[in-house]
Amino acid sequence: MTAVRQTLLLAQWQFRRQAQFLPLLIIVQVFMAIATVIGYGLLVGHPTPEVGLYLATGAPTITLITVGLVMTPQVVAQSKTEGSFDWMRTLPVPRPAFLFSDLLVWTLLALPGMVLGVVAGALRFDISLSPAPWIVGAAVIVSVTAASVGYAMATLLPPAVATLMTQMIIFVVMLFSPVSYPADRLPTWLATAHEFLPVEPMAQLVRAGLAPDQFAVPGRSLVVLGLWCAASILGAVAALRRQS
Amino acid sequence: MAPVSTLRIDGLSKRYRGRSGVQANDGISLDVAPGSVVGLLGHNGAGKTTLVNQVVGLVRPDRGTIVVDGVDAIGQPHLARRLVSIQAQANVPITGLTPRRAIELVGRIRGADRADVVRRTERLLDALDLGPWADTPAQKVSGGIARLTSFAMTAVVPGRLVVLDEPTNDVDPVRRRLLWEQIRALADDGAGLLLVTHNVREAERVVDHLVILDQGRVIAADTPAGLAAPLRGALTVEIHLLPGAAPAWPAMVRTVIAPVPGREQLRITGTVRPDDAADVVRWAQDQVEAGRIERYALTPASLEDVYIQLVGADRPVEAVEGAADETPRTPAPTLSGDRA
Repeated sequence: MTAVRQTLLLAQWQFRRQAQFLPLLIIVQVFMAIATVIGYGLLVGHPTPEVGLYLATGAPTITLITVGLVMTPQVVAQSKTEGSFDWMRTLPVPRPAFLFSDLLVWTLLALPGMVLGVVAGALRFDISLSPAPWIVGAAVIVSVTAASVGYAMATLLPPAVATLMTQMIIFVVMLFSPVSYPADRLPTWLATAHEFLPVEPMAQLVRAGLAPDQFAVPGRSLVVLGLWCAASILGAVAALRRQS
Repeated sequence: MAPVSTLRIDGLSKRYRGRSGVQANDGISLDVAPGSVVGLLGHNGAGKTTLVNQVVGLVRPDRGTIVVDGVDAIGQPHLARRLVSIQAQANVPITGLTPRRAIELVGRIRGADRADVVRRTERLLDALDLGPWADTPAQKVSGGIARLTSFAMTAVVPGRLVVLDEPTNDVDPVRRRLLWEQIRALADDGAGLLLVTHNVREAERVVDHLVILDQGRVIAADTPAGLAAPLRGALTVEIHLLPGAAPAWPAMVRTVIAPVPGREQLRITGTVRPDDAADVVRWAQDQVEAGRIERYALTPASLEDVYIQLVGADRPVEAVEGAADETPRTPAPTLSGDRA
């Protein structure tokens, strides 16, 4: 119970520290989520309903990955630069609480953007979605996995390098991952690589959660994502426990 | 049975790997008893921060033991962190929060219940005269108020061991006194305090015991009186030069702390035997009249002089001087003069 209480108090600390920028952060999140959907539509030209469905159901995955792999590590990098990271670690708090409190704050902030992104996609491409209840759990798994990888990266790397890495990752995720288009458009070697990376299973899970009649998650993807999720949490906690 | 030390460090060594390979700590041993304030003095880079980071498990030592209130801090850092509260040298950024909110949140994160934390926070804000700033957004408060807030965040739910790293930096002279009272009060409530500082003059009035670190080693450890004993009876002469002037020191002034070569330094100090005091005053007065020095002062030798002798004056001592200038000094018999 203490650990949960401490996580929520740490989240409150982070949330209040961002408070003055909250409206702006949410507006930017919403803008990015909608821009992803509309922007891809422009790239494609006149998308067929099938392509439109891919775009609309891929956008929330991109938002979740952006939060986990980009926002979270940038916050960690910033707290290392401004000096609060080391001091916070002197507090008698279980190390995973730092990870989960940040994750909680950033996922909450991303939520409006994610929902509006899906709505915008459905309207733009004129498709009807029937989200399954388990989409909530799926979103949590995707979010936790992405944020843990980002957290471990930001904890272990110097802040400037971590920030550059996040820029590169978002570029690769948006353009070279089978999130907003099917995997068969990728070169074979890259498609094979994605069979072992977490991005494609993340997209498949969210897609199936949003449109369960049209998509299903291969069992293999669940295993790959489960392994990534466990490994990334262990990695992030190990990074937080690391002593110099 | 001897009482358990709040902090017992034995043979602690840490060398950072990498190209520079700094030996940050080199066989340090020290002890903090419950209810006592131990000052840890040393230049920048003497190994103070590394020492503190090892106590809470952020840095892992190569050799040695650290025991906090009976708990092995190296083997069980998570247990040690429950027993230790730390004020870091740099202020913890709290933009977006108010001092009161930050202090209360840290108190609750440290495990105290809300009502208790609210009461303790109010008492600290009052004791440090922070009331007018308590509910001001942190981005609008001055460095000194931020420093005091940072102290209150450490003291609101203090550990058995409280580590304070330069707690008085940027704090105005009036609140500085209030701060020292609160620091002493923490010890009176039974905590062991490790006070990391360069501010020798202030520390000597508060600490029970002093440990002087230099290049990762303990070079002296004693009570303030014990450390000052070798200089007992000696006087310190301090002169402020006029820019460009370089008077020759007379022979009766010993152990002159010379200016750092290549650096314009207008304050220089040396020690004098009481028998020679009259001659030094005469010499200094002549220098004043000849327009070579701005003013001079003759005071009983202080712990600062002992410290500078111990660690050598060949390295910059800017922190010692910078801090000392703001120090409300203990009234001491002083003989001084200036050009007025």
